[in-house]
Amino acid sequence: MQERRATGRMRITEDMSVMDKLEVLTDAAKYDVACTSSGTDRANDGSGIGNCVKAGLCHSFAADGRCISLLKILFTNECIFDCKYCVNRRSNDVLRASFTPDEVCELTMEFYRRNYIEGLFLSSGVIQSPDYTMELIYAALYKLRNERRFQGYIHVKAIPGASLELVQRVGFLADRMSVNLEFATADGLKRLAPHKTRKNILAPMRMVQNVAAENRYEVQSYRNAPRFVPAGQSTQMIIGAAPESDYQILHVAESLYKQFDLKRVFYSAFIHLNEDRELPARTGEGPPLLREHRLYQADWLLRYYHFEAKEILSEEDPNFNVLFDPKCNWALRHLEAFPVEVNRAGYEMLLRVPGLGYRSAQRIVRARRIGKLDFTDLKKMGVVLKRAMYFLTCNGKMMYPTKLDEDYIARNLLNTGEKLPEGADGMTYRQMSLFDDVRFGGGISEKNLCV
Amino acid sequence: MKRIYVCNDEVTGLLSALYDAWRTVVVDGMPECGIRFRGCIEQEFFCEYTEVEESEKKAGAVERLILKNLGWYAYKLIYQASLSTDPLKGDAILGTMLEARRIADSRRIMDHLGNAQVEKVFELSRNVGDEVHRWLQFLRFGELENGIMFARFEPKNRVLTCVAPHFADRFCLENWMIYDETYQEYVVHEAGKQWVLVSGGELNEELAGAFSDRERAFRELWHKFTESIAIEDRKNPGCQMGHLPLWYRKNMVEFMPM
Repeated sequence: MQERRATGRMRITEDMSVMDKLEVLTDAAKYDVACTSSGTDRANDGSGIGNCVKAGLCHSFAADGRCISLLKILFTNECIFDCKYCVNRRSNDVLRASFTPDEVCELTMEFYRRNYIEGLFLSSGVIQSPDYTMELIYAALYKLRNERRFQGYIHVKAIPGASLELVQRVGFLADRMSVNLEFATADGLKRLAPHKTRKNILAPMRMVQNVAAENRYEVQSYRNAPRFVPAGQSTQMIIGAAPESDYQILHVAESLYKQFDLKRVFYSAFIHLNEDRELPARTGEGPPLLREHRLYQADWLLRYYHFEAKEILSEEDPNFNVLFDPKCNWALRHLEAFPVEVNRAGYEMLLRVPGLGYRSAQRIVRARRIGKLDFTDLKKMGVVLKRAMYFLTCNGKMMYPTKLDEDYIARNLLNTGEKLPEGADGMTYRQMSLFDDVRFGGGISEKNLCV
Repeated sequence: MKRIYVCNDEVTGLLSALYDAWRTVVVDGMPECGIRFRGCIEQEFFCEYTEVEESEKKAGAVERLILKNLGWYAYKLIYQASLSTDPLKGDAILGTMLEARRIADSRRIMDHLGNAQVEKVFELSRNVGDEVHRWLQFLRFGELENGIMFARFEPKNRVLTCVAPHFADRFCLENWMIYDETYQEYVVHEAGKQWVLVSGGELNEELAGAFSDRERAFRELWHKFTESIAIEDRKNPGCQMGHLPLWYRKNMVEFMPM
């Protein structure tokens, strides 16, 4: 039965134009959230087209406010897997299409030279077998890198279950590689993605980590050694499809950062595409965007603010506060650590002050070497005091008389109003609320958040 | 009497004015000096206005002075600030250079944000730097019938010289050209060679509007891509606007009617 259906689909794809394929395979790829082009700096070597910029560049923004940095497409959506949450699962009756390696190359090259994109994001449904799919991806990337001499950014997905040797070969052609973890718990994975196993996902992740570590050594010893995923690896988890607590998710993210050297963990609010008894019921509230937003905030605390998952959430208190961002929430529960003296406190303590971003903290540390700072100086430097003023002293004095009392501060913080990303409780992939820095108009070149 | 130097709003002009002003304050010991640009002077009382004799020699001397004493980082920020549209940028840069003489380590000058002039230079350079970064993202090339890749944009600040090196590296084997409509300048890059800045000369609208057939096909493909990549459930025009303000969209293919 499967065979015949697959061949039937193949016939549809044969006479499809590139335009139709692009529509189908973009539409199928859009639920993957990682669209970053950051993490590697590479100048053009003079033999082809393209370079990479460490901070990454977002070339456009779609109607949902998400950045378009890479040509995000599936190689094919003819998938033999039956993941419950996925629009391309084999039990769905959707239009199927496949690119050829040449079509992928042509689209990438022509979009790139018009400055539409920063590179290619190639993912794929599993056609025939994981190995077969991985070989097709390899063929496309090989052509792109060696025949077309493309030196821009390439992000590629490793297909769970593909042989590690193939994954490794692809890794030498790509800048970033990712395997989607999908769910924080093995149970969730088993129920909602029956054809994937934890082992098949973690094995390539570990392999990429080990080869990348070896490769760093090789590159130091031999200048011309080929680079293996220079921008590191990332992963993605779906939020809200399986009954996991925020603590579980954050805890898994932390161990991925620590034990697998991941560059990024992405969180993707679950979007209802299929009707399935394993999935949560449709509520009409739309995807859980606030939850996703809080997870990104907490993720930032893990990566840039020296926080640990157990400080942000715990088994007893496993979910995020709806009203306060994770840092505010931590501060309110640890008032004994405040107020913090701007002129003396260590950098790590400054990072823990609500409303102070790491740019502001760095600026404070540098500026106080030259002279004593007071609140007017902080304002001049672009530090936003709206929330920070309840937690800071300058030369022993607070900005206004303030009671260090949880209720009092919580009430005032609520009055200031957290700037959630545009939209009711919407979110973006470049959250701004931890980095309030209004004075100097953003400074996106220095703090592109798509890292 | 405060002396105010008047120069053209170009890098050489500004640097020459800085040269004269620096000499007036540091060598002649005059307490105050200002720099204004031709065409946007608001006359003030008790000031004498002096035209600057602009020369590459003066400009080079100031560049070397900044690089030697303030370092590469401060030089970069000052250069970016000098491209800004702010009419008082000359005063801010002069103030920063003078302030650097007062602190112990002049290479740390850009950390000294407590000083109003330093802070202003920092702010201007951030503003220009942001715009440069955005144009690297939002500039769009189109293939003309003669095979040249052509882009046009209307920047607020004079950022063309900051934008060009990025594309010269990225598209080193292409013939391309960028036209700055605000300041009527061009950057022209011939495959495998250095880019050059050309000012003056009018754009041949007919040639610049004649796109190749392939160009049309890829524009349509790109249109389709940007349409189908958006997730309906998460639609959020406010967020899109925040990241990509309308004035950048004028020459962007995906926002043109097809």
